[in-house]
Amino acid sequence: MAIVTDRPDSPDLGGSSGSGTELEPAGGGAAVLEDSPHTGVFARPTHATGWREWLFTVDHKKIGIMYGALALFWFLIGGLEIGLVRLQLWAPDGEVISADFYNQLFTMHGVTMVFLVIMPLANAFANYLVPLQIGARDVAFPRMNALGLWVFFFGGIFLNLSWFLGGGADGGWFAYAPNTGMAYSPGHGMDFYALGLQIAGIASLLGAINLLVTIINMRCPGMSLLRMPVFTWMILVVQFLLVFALPVITVALILLTFDRTFDANFFNVDAGADPLLWQHLFWIFGHPEVYILILPAFGVVSETLPVFSRKPLFGYPIVVLSGAAIGFMGWGVWAHHMFTSGMGPVSVAAFSATTMFIAVPTGVKILNWIATMWAGKVRFTVPMMFSVSLVAMFTIGGLSGVMHAIAPADTQQTDTYFIVAHFHYVLVGGALMGMFAGMYYWWPKAFGYHLNERMGRWHFWLMLIGFNTTFGPMHIVGLQGMARRHSVYGEFDGFEFWNKIATIGYFFMLIAMVILAVNIFRTWGRYRRGLEPQAGADPWDGRTLEWAIPSPTPEHNFDYVPVVSDVDDFWHKKYQPDETGKLRRIAYGNDIAQLGDQHPHLPSPSYWPIVLAAGLPLIGFGLIYNLWIAGIGLLLLVGSMFGWTLEPATDPDAGHGHGHDGHGDHDDDHGAKDPDSPDGHNGVLAASTANGEAAGD
Amino acid sequence: MGTRFARGLRLAVLAGVALLVVGCATGQLDATKPIGKEAQDIDGLMRLSGWMAVGVGIFVAAAVVVIIVKFRAKPTDDPDDLPPQIHGNRKAEITWTLIPTALLVFLTIITLPTVFALAREGDGRTIKVEGQQWWWQFSYDVNEDGDFDDAADIVTANDLVIPVGEEVNLEIHSNDVIHSFWIPQLNGKRDAVPGRVHHWRISSTEPGIFYGECVEFCGLSHANMQMRAIVLEEADFERWLEGQQAGRAAAAEPLAEDSAEAAGASLFETHCISCHVVDGVYESAAGGNANLLAGIAPNLTNLMSRTAFAGALYETYVQDADREYVRGPDGKLIVNIAGLREWVRNAPDLKPARADNLQGMLDFSEVLTDQDLDNLMAYLRTLGNEPVLPR
Repeated sequence: MAIVTDRPDSPDLGGSSGSGTELEPAGGGAAVLEDSPHTGVFARPTHATGWREWLFTVDHKKIGIMYGALALFWFLIGGLEIGLVRLQLWAPDGEVISADFYNQLFTMHGVTMVFLVIMPLANAFANYLVPLQIGARDVAFPRMNALGLWVFFFGGIFLNLSWFLGGGADGGWFAYAPNTGMAYSPGHGMDFYALGLQIAGIASLLGAINLLVTIINMRCPGMSLLRMPVFTWMILVVQFLLVFALPVITVALILLTFDRTFDANFFNVDAGADPLLWQHLFWIFGHPEVYILILPAFGVVSETLPVFSRKPLFGYPIVVLSGAAIGFMGWGVWAHHMFTSGMGPVSVAAFSATTMFIAVPTGVKILNWIATMWAGKVRFTVPMMFSVSLVAMFTIGGLSGVMHAIAPADTQQTDTYFIVAHFHYVLVGGALMGMFAGMYYWWPKAFGYHLNERMGRWHFWLMLIGFNTTFGPMHIVGLQGMARRHSVYGEFDGFEFWNKIATIGYFFMLIAMVILAVNIFRTWGRYRRGLEPQAGADPWDGRTLEWAIPSPTPEHNFDYVPVVSDVDDFWHKKYQPDETGKLRRIAYGNDIAQLGDQHPHLPSPSYWPIVLAAGLPLIGFGLIYNLWIAGIGLLLLVGSMFGWTLEPATDPDAGHGHGHDGHGDHDDDHGAKDPDSPDGHNGVLAASTANGEAAGD
Repeated sequence: MGTRFARGLRLAVLAGVALLVVGCATGQLDATKPIGKEAQDIDGLMRLSGWMAVGVGIFVAAAVVVIIVKFRAKPTDDPDDLPPQIHGNRKAEITWTLIPTALLVFLTIITLPTVFALAREGDGRTIKVEGQQWWWQFSYDVNEDGDFDDAADIVTANDLVIPVGEEVNLEIHSNDVIHSFWIPQLNGKRDAVPGRVHHWRISSTEPGIFYGECVEFCGLSHANMQMRAIVLEEADFERWLEGQQAGRAAAAEPLAEDSAEAAGASLFETHCISCHVVDGVYESAAGGNANLLAGIAPNLTNLMSRTAFAGALYETYVQDADREYVRGPDGKLIVNIAGLREWVRNAPDLKPARADNLQGMLDFSEVLTDQDLDNLMAYLRTLGNEPVLPR
C-alpha cells in the first residue's frame, strides 16, 4: 500500500497539487494555496445545487447525461433539416426550397448527425458507463471531462449560429476543396464549418485522452483487459481511433481556415495545389470516423444480447479481437471513398482489396452475436428489439458496403443514393439503433426508473418501419442513377415513386422520435410524482459491474472498489454451478448489489471548464469577423487556464477530516481486497487513482 | 406469436414484391441497363456481388427469424433455469472466419482484372472533356494534331457526340472545382479535378441518346449540370463532323443588313461576347475571360446543332410527352424558341447561379426588351444546323 499513500494522485496533475496540499501542507506551492484557498476569482464552488449543479459539475455521470441530452437536441435539429430535403424531393423539379438552402441543409444535416449526434451519444454512454463498468469512482481527469462537454456544447452552438449569420455551410459534409474555398463559397458558412469542427474536435480529443487513461489505469482489481466488458473494450478502441484520427482532420481544417481567412494557397489550384490533398486528409480521418461512429453501438449490443439471451457472449475474445482488428484495418481503407478521383489503377486495386477484408472481422462479429442469441431464452424487451434490429439492419449496410468495395461497381454507385442508403443502414440501422438500445437498457441505471415499455415498442416499430421505408428505396433509386446532393430530379428520371415512399418513411421516423420524446418527458414526470416504480439495482439480470450498484447510480458510484475474477463477474456472483455442473441461481442482483450508503469525499465542482470552453467560440468569431474578438477569446482561454491551475483542490470547509476519513475507508477496503486480487498491479493502480480522486480531482 | 409473425412476414414480402413491380419503371440514368461495353462489365460484377450479398443477407435474416420465433423466452419458463451456457466454439469461429474470407478472396480475384481493364486506353479517338460550373464542354481534335485549339477542331457543349462501337478516350479536365463525369449506361464515373487530367474510356454498343450528369457536388447548381452522349452510326457521325465545319463557316458569313438577325448580332456583340465565343466572329472571350470563375462560357458557334442548352437542362427542340421529337410541316425539328428566349432573358431564374460571384449567366430581364430578345433569337437560330440524331 506504499504506493497508495505516497502517490495518491499520480495519474492526474490537477489532483496532484490538490491532494499534495492535504497530505503535505509544508510544500511551497501548497502554502500559496493554503493562504488563499477560496478567495476572489479562484474560489471553488463546493456543493453546487440547482442548475449550478449541472453547469459546474465534474461528475462523469452528469456529464454523460448532458452529452446525451445535447445529442438528442441536435438530433431533433438535424432530423428537421433533412425533413425539408425530403419534402423537396417529393416530386420532380421540386420547388419547396431553393438550391442554395438545399445545399446548406444536406451539408448541415450530415455534419450535425455525425459530429453533434452520434459521436456525443456514444460519448454519453462512454462517460456514464466506462467508470461503472471498470469499477472506478470517476474518470481519470474529471475537470477535463467537463471541459470536453462544454467545448462540445459551444462548438455545436457555434456551428449552428451560421444559420442566423448568413447561412449554413454549403460544401457537403466532406467539403471537397476547392469548392469550399473563398472563391466558390464566399459566405461564412464554410468558416463556421471549419472552425466549429475544430472546436468539436478539441472536445472529442479531450474526451478520448481522458477515457484512454481511465480505461488503462483505473480498472478495479482483477479486471485484466480480457475481463473488461465489451462495451468498454469498444470504447477503448474508439478512443485510440479518435486520438489518431482527429489530428488529421484538424490539420485539414486548419489548412482550410488559413486558405479562407488568410488567403493561403493550400488548396488553390492556380498556385499549384492538388485538391486531392484535401480528400486524402479528410478520408484518412473520415474512414476511421466511420468506425468511431459504429463501434460504440457494437459495444452496446455486445452487452445487451447476452443479457437478454441469458447466455454469455459467444466468443468473447473473438468479438473483442475483431473489434480491435476493425480499428486497425480501418486505417487502411480510406481511399475507397476516392475510387473515382483518379488515383490510378494500382491504388484503386489495393484499396479495393483492403476494403473487402475489413468485412471479415465485421462479419465475424455479426455471426458471434447470432450465436450468442442462438439456443438462448431471448427476452424481447425494447432494448433487445433495438439490438436485434442492429444485427439485421447493419448486416444490410455491411453487405452493400462489400458491393462498393468492388471498385468498378463503386464507380457506378458512389455519389448516388445507393451510397446514401448504404451509410444510413450503417449509421441509422447500426449506430443509432445501438444507441437506442443503450438508452432503454441503461435508463433505469441512470435515472432510477424504466422508460415506458409500451411506448418503447411503438418507438421501435415505427422507427424500424420508417427507417426501412426511407432508406430501402434509396438502394433502388441509387442503382437507377439518382445522384445524391441533387436539389432536383427530372420528370424523365423515374425517381418519383421511390422518393415519395422515402419521404413517407421519414414521417414514420419523425413520429417515432415524437413518441420517444413523449416517453422521456412523461415517464420523468410520472417518476417525480411517484407513479413510476423505483428500478432495482439489477433490473435486467445484468452481467457487468454497473448493475452491482443502486439505481440511479449514487454520486460516488461504488461504496467500495469491487474486485473481479472473471468476465461477467457480477453474473457469476448470482449463478454458480451445482454438483452436476449446471448453473443455478444463488443470489439476486438486487440483494447483493452495493447499498450506495457511503459518502466518500468527491471532487468539488469547478467553474473553469465552462469558462475556458467559452473562449473557443470567441476565437472562432474573431477569425471570421474581427481578430480583436479572438483576442478577447484568447484572454479568456489563457485566464481560465490560470484559474484552473490555481483553483484549490477541494472544499476546505468540508475539511481535511472528511477527506482523510475517506482515505481511511479506501485504504481499508484495498487492504482487505488486494490480497484476493489476482491482478495486484492493476489493483494498486486503480486504488491509487480512486484515492487521488477522492482527495481532490 | 409465431403464426402472427409469419403472417406479417408473408404480407410484408408480398407488399415488397408489389412495390418492386410498380417502382421499377426505370429512367434514363439507369446503371443496371448498361449499353456500353465498360458498363456491361461493371454490371456483371454488380449483379454477381449483389446476388452474393442477397444470399448472405437472407442467411443472416433467416437466423434472426429463427431466433425470434424459436428461441423466444416463454412466460412459462422457469426464470432461474438457464439455457445452455456456451462461451464459444473454436471450430465455429474458424469456419465463419474462413467462409467470408473465401467469398471475399473470390470477389477480389474477379474485381482486380476489371480495375485494370477499365484503366486501359481505348483504340478510338480522344475527346477533351471539361467540367465547369455548371456545364460540360467537349472538344474534338479533328485534324489529329494532338491539341484541341486549331480552327478545324470542334468545341461543343452538353452533347458528347460519338460513333457507335468506338472506344473513345476521354481526357477529363476541370476549369474550377471538382466535378464528376457520368453517363451511367456507358461507364462508371470519373472525377474532373482541377489541375489534373484524368483518362477514361467510353463506348456504346448501339446508337442512341444516353443521359449523364455531374455527380460530384460542385456548388449551387450541381443538380443542373447535365449532359448526354449522342451515339451515331459511323456515317452519321461523319455527317455531324461535316455539319460542325459547315456551321462554323456559315457563322462567319455576313448577315443581311437591317434584318432581325443582324440586329440580334449587334445585341450579341454588346451583351454576350464578354463570355461567349462564336468561332471566327466573336473571339474576344476565347482563351479565358475574367468574367467567370471557370474562365469560359459555352462556345455558341454551332448552338442549334446541340440537342440541349443551359447545361443540358432544356431541350433545344420541341419534344412530345414521350420525348419524341416533333417535326414541322417542312420535316424540320421545331426550335424550342420560347424556352431559349426565356433562358436568355433570365437565366438565373431557370437555373440557380451566382453571377455576382462570377458563377453563371446574368439576368437580362431588366436589360433586354422583348424586341431585343426576338432579334437575339433570330441571330442565335443562324448558329449551326439541326442536330444529327441517332437512327
